[in-house]
Amino acid sequence: MIKVKNLHKKFGDLNVLNGIDEHISPGEVVVVIGPSGSGKSTFLRCLNLLEDVTEGEIYVDDQLINTPKIDINKVRQKMGMVFQQFNLFPHLTIMDNITLAPVLLKKMTKDQAVKTGHDLLKRVNLADKAQAYPAQLSGGQKQRVAIARALAMSPEIMLFDEPTSALDPEMVGEVLDVMKDLARSGMTMVIVTHEMGFAREVASRVLFVDQGVIMESGTPEEVFSNPKNERTKLFLSKVL
Amino acid sequence: MTAFQEWFTDFSNLFYKCFIREDRYKLLLEGIGVTIKVSLLAVLIGILIGMLVALCNLSKRKLIRFFGSVYTDVIRGTPSVTQLMIIYFVIFATVDLDKWIIAAIAFGINSGAYVSEIIRAGILSVDHGQTEAGRSLGLNAFQTMTRIVIPQAVKNIFPALCNEFIVLIKETAIVGYVGLMDIQKAGDFIKSATFNAFMPLFGTAVIYYILIKILTLLLRRIEIVLRKSDIR
Repeated sequence: MIKVKNLHKKFGDLNVLNGIDEHISPGEVVVVIGPSGSGKSTFLRCLNLLEDVTEGEIYVDDQLINTPKIDINKVRQKMGMVFQQFNLFPHLTIMDNITLAPVLLKKMTKDQAVKTGHDLLKRVNLADKAQAYPAQLSGGQKQRVAIARALAMSPEIMLFDEPTSALDPEMVGEVLDVMKDLARSGMTMVIVTHEMGFAREVASRVLFVDQGVIMESGTPEEVFSNPKNERTKLFLSKVL
Repeated sequence: MTAFQEWFTDFSNLFYKCFIREDRYKLLLEGIGVTIKVSLLAVLIGILIGMLVALCNLSKRKLIRFFGSVYTDVIRGTPSVTQLMIIYFVIFATVDLDKWIIAAIAFGINSGAYVSEIIRAGILSVDHGQTEAGRSLGLNAFQTMTRIVIPQAVKNIFPALCNEFIVLIKETAIVGYVGLMDIQKAGDFIKSATFNAFMPLFGTAVIYYILIKILTLLLRRIEIVLRKSDIR
């Protein structure tokens, strides 16, 4: 579903990604862990080209996407993204946040989109918030709306960039629950997170990223209980 | 007769002479119409140009940024009377358009330079995460700008824009230079016809003041609607 070949990313003189090769299959829940500054968020943001790629190739559904020949907007429509800072549109109601893209991009009529919106809000347990504005919601609620907004485009892949890092501790659970639910439904997911318990429980595969390369990749069991790489061991000894 | 009665009689005689006799109030009414027409069209043109120039100034391409900055530079660097006269007597000299439309174009071009800077500041005030969220959903750059960034920018810059509109309305008081009868010109005309300066000039001032007061109240209402999403 996503294939990454020899991905490099530089910010000026700073090498952030130093050659990443990775293959993500449909239905996989890939959790990316690693110390801060390791390049894990940059890796995720390269997958839908929010960051332009310095070198290497990214394929989505066997289509090379980091080329000017393709319409990146079309590709992004099948890749939902959830951000650390939620990035809800504060000038729109929750319902309008959810329906904006599907209606504007002609995926649905307004009526269909509103109906889908209600279904999605029910799914993230916010059925009563359709007419509220983002400023009226708590962090956890905002992030659940952000997930619903991404799902409204019926994406094939969902990218999560530290979705719980900006939340108060008591709200982390409600967001992770929605994500677990999504994982169980068979959604292909790539998740950058510091929630090791969640990674262990939900991931089908864990990637440990450090210094801009994937140091270790395996099932949660392999990576958490039996890490082979010294850096992985060191990192896990600090966070577990 | 008391001093006050005397003064009042003088005042009402003067008022009658300046505004009622020979239907002079009609000149002022006409002037109000012209001022409003010119201002409204100029505001629209100003916003349109302002948006375009702001986008130029924010462009990634150097050449486009250059055009934007030259525009802002030239317009801000020359007096609006000069601009108005150049546009009226030189650029539109041979074009058959209503006077007031040409004047509105001139004021719009002038206002655009100031509005562009306000809009640029507004766009920069919107968090970059908003753009990323829009693009990640598959919206193109234009859709993201018009549906997500600009509506938020407008809310942020609304007070500054209102200020610019008010300045613009008063700026139109120079259209007399190209022979349009606006409020100022009407007052001036009455001054010449009656050999009295006090009454027509104060009348002019009062009319401008009331117009702008009404506008301010209207704009404040709009601002409250814009701030609807801020309720917590």
